[in-house]
Amino acid sequence: MTIPTLDAFFTMMAQGFIQRAFVIGIIVALMSSILSVFIVLKRISLIGDGLAHTAFGGLALGYYLGFLPLWVAGGIVILGSIGITKAMRSKVSGDAAVAVFLELGLASGIFLLSLARGYGINLESLLFGSILLVTFEQMLYALLVLGLTFAFVLVFYKELAYSTFDEVQARAAGIRTWFFDYSVGVFAGIAIIVSIPIVGVLLISALLVLPALTSVQISKSLRQTVLLSPVFGLLSVVLGLIASVITDTASGATIVLVGLAIFIVTLAVTRRGKRRVSPH
Amino acid sequence: MDASLIELSNVGVQYPNGVWAVDHISLRIFKNDLVGFIGPNGAGKTTLISVILGLIRPTSGAVTLFGESISTKNLRRVGYVPQVLESTISGFPATVFETVMFGRVPHAGLLRPFTKNDIGKTEEALKLLEISELRNRKLGQLSGGQLQRVLVAKALAGEPEILILDEPTSGADIHSRTEFYTLLADLNRDRGIAIVLSSHDVDSVTKLASKVVCINRTLFYYGPKSGFTNGILAKTYGYPMKVIDDSHT
Repeated sequence: MTIPTLDAFFTMMAQGFIQRAFVIGIIVALMSSILSVFIVLKRISLIGDGLAHTAFGGLALGYYLGFLPLWVAGGIVILGSIGITKAMRSKVSGDAAVAVFLELGLASGIFLLSLARGYGINLESLLFGSILLVTFEQMLYALLVLGLTFAFVLVFYKELAYSTFDEVQARAAGIRTWFFDYSVGVFAGIAIIVSIPIVGVLLISALLVLPALTSVQISKSLRQTVLLSPVFGLLSVVLGLIASVITDTASGATIVLVGLAIFIVTLAVTRRGKRRVSPH
Repeated sequence: MDASLIELSNVGVQYPNGVWAVDHISLRIFKNDLVGFIGPNGAGKTTLISVILGLIRPTSGAVTLFGESISTKNLRRVGYVPQVLESTISGFPATVFETVMFGRVPHAGLLRPFTKNDIGKTEEALKLLEISELRNRKLGQLSGGQLQRVLVAKALAGEPEILILDEPTSGADIHSRTEFYTLLADLNRDRGIAIVLSSHDVDSVTKLASKVVCINRTLFYYGPKSGFTNGILAKTYGYPMKVIDDSHT
């Protein structure tokens, strides 16, 4: 690994594709970290994994058909998120529901990609993400999804928070919790589709978990958890992308490793703080 | 006679395997009632509460709340306190204040922030349950008894006309239980809130309640406490039982 000089680093950062990567990275960080609060607190953290692999199957189908892969994958992921949520609501174990969709997406993806061999598919960038894949059009889609996610959370924050706290109590209070369960699933699916170019199929679920997980460790209220989660998401993506440029490593893996490092440091610091105040 | 707040007419709930969880249940609950639901494990107490709250649709019979079929609108007039499951609730990062404020969500409306009135009702509920000093604590920092009070405060913040409690004291020590039952009696007497209390604690419930619902899949007794006998209790549980009258202690 060769570390570039400062001049070389800034020259690299001035490149249009790197700047696009930062812009989409920031959009993806905000979008996924807002959703991550509800995903983590609803205890459906594995939904990201299931949907990412379903997206993989969808992208493979799109490439195989030679027809708008991202849109085909988007449609399949939305159907997958509805399927997983429906299975979870009908008392099928959440893990089992995710596992079924994960295996289905992965197996059909590999099957279709092997059929489509030689069609110019960059499997590595699909799995691990690549800043080179980001286009202006993708940035606009991501921005639109961020806007929709933000509007959804803003409009329904009270109801969403209550049904995340306890679905049964919220239902007994007359709140239509099914709407929030399905919406969180569908938004997570859409977030995954627009995030695949930067983080890749294998690691996107980390962005839907780590920011909230880190935020929960240090926040003193639900409100703080919601506000701090995007901060941790942004830190992971921005620092991860910078590290990836410097070390010339896969952006997705570097972002996730930075996110994990932030989580571990936060956990260690808060545990230490708790031990200090504990009388025992 | 006053209109009933809750009316169950020949309600039955059948599991998918064909077994009836409850069947032929008819009862009416009125303003100022303090009704104790008693019965052995698996008797259908929670199922019946779920039917009243619209969480389960009955297989047969009909349920009305405030004289109408169950809807989002009339559920706002009901407060629900579930069994405290510390393991699930304590991991949630909300403060006591935020949790009690959830009780105002059905009243607040979409796109509208909580109003001064919502905050006032929350403060009032905190004060009533004597947990104002815990307002900034996270749920994970509370004891089981404190969590139970938070959930009651949340229900009261919604200004309910009926308060339904499902096994609220399970796991609580005798002192917390006694304090809790006194609180329920005060709410019923001073605020006119009808209370439905499901519990395994037969002695305390029969002592506290003005009416008793004794069920084991079907209704064995529904009426005033004065008509409730040890014979009915034994018949419901399937073995001899008797209520200990400790009123002289």
